[in-house]
Amino acid sequence: MISFSYGNSICCRFWEDECVVYNQLTGSTHLIDGLGVEVFKAVSEKKSSRSEFLKNLQSVFDLPVDFDLETGLDNLLLEYQKLGLLQVMENSPA
Amino acid sequence: MKLATLSKKGLIRSLNSGGLRFKIGAFTICLSSPIAEVADHLLALYGAFELIDDEAFIDFYTLLAPPSKVRRYFRPQVNFSFDGFIPFKPLPYNQASAMFEWGLNWCIANHSHQHLIIHAAVVERNGRAFIFPGTPGSGKSTLCAALVCSGWRLLSDEMTLLSLADGLVYPVPRPISLKNRSIDVIRSLHPDAVMGQVVNDTLKGTVGHLRPPDSSVESGAIPAQPAKLIFPKYQDASKTELTPLSKARAFLKVAENSFNYNVLGVVGFNSLGALIDASDCYEFKYSRLDEALALFAELAR
Repeated sequence: MISFSYGNSICCRFWEDECVVYNQLTGSTHLIDGLGVEVFKAVSEKKSSRSEFLKNLQSVFDLPVDFDLETGLDNLLLEYQKLGLLQVMENSPA
Repeated sequence: MKLATLSKKGLIRSLNSGGLRFKIGAFTICLSSPIAEVADHLLALYGAFELIDDEAFIDFYTLLAPPSKVRRYFRPQVNFSFDGFIPFKPLPYNQASAMFEWGLNWCIANHSHQHLIIHAAVVERNGRAFIFPGTPGSGKSTLCAALVCSGWRLLSDEMTLLSLADGLVYPVPRPISLKNRSIDVIRSLHPDAVMGQVVNDTLKGTVGHLRPPDSSVESGAIPAQPAKLIFPKYQDASKTELTPLSKARAFLKVAENSFNYNVLGVVGFNSLGALIDASDCYEFKYSRLDEALALFAELAR
């Protein structure tokens, strides 16, 4: 099972369909919109298992039938991990 | 006792012997200078400021003086120093007064980290602060001058001091710096407005300073609640347009216009977040000051 989280060094603020994320370790501030906002909302609400999150996204976004949500999400998670905003972990199934 | 109660002779004496001590908002300043034009600048623009006694704590000890040696006589120059430290290269002697204003900006921006400091004009009406962040040339000082000349309270034309402790905006009501065409625009709209010496060929072009209203100086200890964050953009012949801006984007724009957001770390992030929560955010394009004034009067109701 893949899950994602952020450490104590990350702060988020949400406004409507956008958020800003601050990384205390790098001092950088990021503007996040679209799918990314749902990622950070999920983390802040501790609903951060990838499979659970994918189900939730299907209901939030009106996505085209052929949209590869799983790949889109994985690319996004990877990008946020590179920026030091998220930790993506592969856990053993409970 | 106010600075205006001093004669020019008395003011020059103070500037030459131990320094003139006065209060700007919450800050206390001691200014020493042998330059006569500095006294003229203070008499024209700082008359309403309170003098403070010799025992009071001073935040910024400043000195405007010619450099030593040749440049005292040949193409004379002036240095600004703070606590004996000279942060800038010298400027031509006739820019001494403008250098004092720029030097004081530097002092506050670099030493007042009990505030989130935003490069923004800020004015108040009906207890609500309107904050105008902007880069040079955006028209924020012109807008600020026009509002202040129309009865709004000046908190600052250059830096918004947002208290980290209570989230209020604290005033630092000083002369408004106008540049190039703005000088004539404000003079033609408000012929009674008092302008100090206008200096050509500075690094910022032609610069003049407008005297702050006495009432704004006298209210220098009273903070204001932030209400609107408006990013102005003067554009020739443009229509007056006020466009809502998303709060997250406004956050990023204010962070970019802050002097010490990066210094303050997470405290700055949280303070700025609270400011954004408390404020309606807009982008504002204008070319006509009369329309801008009418619009802001409506927004302040």
